[in-house]
Amino acid sequence: MRPSVHRIFHNIMRYLKLYRVFLFQNLKEDMIYRSNFMTLVIMDIWSVGISVILFKIIYSHVNTIAGWTFDQSLILIGSVGIIREMAYLTFRRGFLELGSHIRTGTFDLFMTRPIAPNLHLAFRHVSLSESFGEAVMGGALVVYGLMRLHHWNWISIFLYVVFLLNSLLIYYGFSLLMNSVVFWVIKSQELNTIVYFFMETSRYPGDIFRGVGKIIFTFIIPIGIIATVPASILTGRIGWGFAVTALIVGSVFLSAGLWVWKRSIGHYSSASG
Amino acid sequence: MKKYLTLFHINWQNSLQYRFSLVIYIAGYSLYIWVLLYLWSTVYHEGNTVGNYTLSQLTTYYLLQLMINSVIFSYISWDVIDNIKDGHFSNFLIKPLDYFLYWFTVNLSGKILEAFFVIIAAGLISLLFGGYFAFPGRLITFLYFLISVILGIVLAFEMDFCVGMITFWLTQVRTFKYMLQTLILFFAGAMLPLDLFPGLLMKISNILPFQYLVFFPISLYLGKVDNPWPSFIMLSVWILIFYVIARILLIRGIRRYEAVGA
Repeated sequence: MRPSVHRIFHNIMRYLKLYRVFLFQNLKEDMIYRSNFMTLVIMDIWSVGISVILFKIIYSHVNTIAGWTFDQSLILIGSVGIIREMAYLTFRRGFLELGSHIRTGTFDLFMTRPIAPNLHLAFRHVSLSESFGEAVMGGALVVYGLMRLHHWNWISIFLYVVFLLNSLLIYYGFSLLMNSVVFWVIKSQELNTIVYFFMETSRYPGDIFRGVGKIIFTFIIPIGIIATVPASILTGRIGWGFAVTALIVGSVFLSAGLWVWKRSIGHYSSASG
Repeated sequence: MKKYLTLFHINWQNSLQYRFSLVIYIAGYSLYIWVLLYLWSTVYHEGNTVGNYTLSQLTTYYLLQLMINSVIFSYISWDVIDNIKDGHFSNFLIKPLDYFLYWFTVNLSGKILEAFFVIIAAGLISLLFGGYFAFPGRLITFLYFLISVILGIVLAFEMDFCVGMITFWLTQVRTFKYMLQTLILFFAGAMLPLDLFPGLLMKISNILPFQYLVFFPISLYLGKVDNPWPSFIMLSVWILIFYVIARILLIRGIRRYEAVGA
């Protein structure tokens, strides 16, 4: 059956509705554990604080790194925080739980519901609190960096949001690729450690990579894009060429991720059987 | 002694089982180090120098830190915390095993496999990055480095064990441990060499014992320490201090644990 426009629209509305239900359910749970929420926020502020201090120290020895000033780097660090929170609000927790679903056989639940397994897994445990502190710190750093730079406009802010979403899709595609392995090798949920370092290292400007590194960190492990491209757009230091490359990488990673994921869940055999 | 040798052997086999997650962690951390090497090489290629480091020294610094992060740092407190929280600790009260020595042995036996993988990782990176790794000119430098690594393993373990002991008093110990770990890495020189720190931070890091975990051994290796003996003595004193603290915490913790169980 060919999907009509009407049908696609209907599906999107349906998933948005589902997302809303899941989100409110999870927010309620967050509210119950309020002290846990505070702890997570404090931990985030702590770790972002340390990386700002690190950058400050590095910049006490140099004026720019690959053309990036300290203020511009703050926007970079901040963007990582924002993307992380977006990921926790949409899909990240699900992947962290995937390994145990597969080991215990509870992934059956996802296969038998009339919802796409990847979206069900993603939306089931969305979390506002997990990276909330980093998002608040991130937002503050972006705003602070912008105020110090003076030359921003509404178009660049709009494009910034668009490219943040593109980075979120790269992050999602990358996570799908990494986590698909779990269907083939049961013990591979640890691959999420790689995903963690993937985001940690995105704090550094992508312009530092040269030679083989440039290719690897743009197309294979795109940490040179994730935060660098949105932050470059906001600080007005990017050409159209690289922005378009980022969009292409985004759509390739998302399609590749979905394709591999689909093949991989076909390989799932219930653990309880 | 014999029972600890057996324990060492058993745990060594156990850690073979977990080699997959070990390799993954090392791969992730190597990625981080690799990116930092690009950062510094960009800084140097733009005509800057940082402190009194050459690019080759800085590269060596981070590659050694990659190894030290696995070889010196102890991460067993995560297990100690679980062990106490789940109540498995009770079993140790009736066994003829010393709790401190038990975890010391477990920690040590896990290191061998980790050291093996991490040396491969460091080798790969330096190959991919193109021969910036510097070797010490004199044999004695290398010996000093080895001594500092061995002492560092002991000190790092003691500190980590103390953190694990906090579980007896504090239920939210994981948060505390996480934050402390970041702080220790920072003041150990794991993220940046300590002599690049500005005045006040450098003073603080010079007083704290964490410098002996990363900064001191690497400085020895790079031949930046003229006379290592005062530092070796200081390091030994810290080992003694933390040994006493660990013992006191353990004795008090057991008392408290029994009180809770009753």
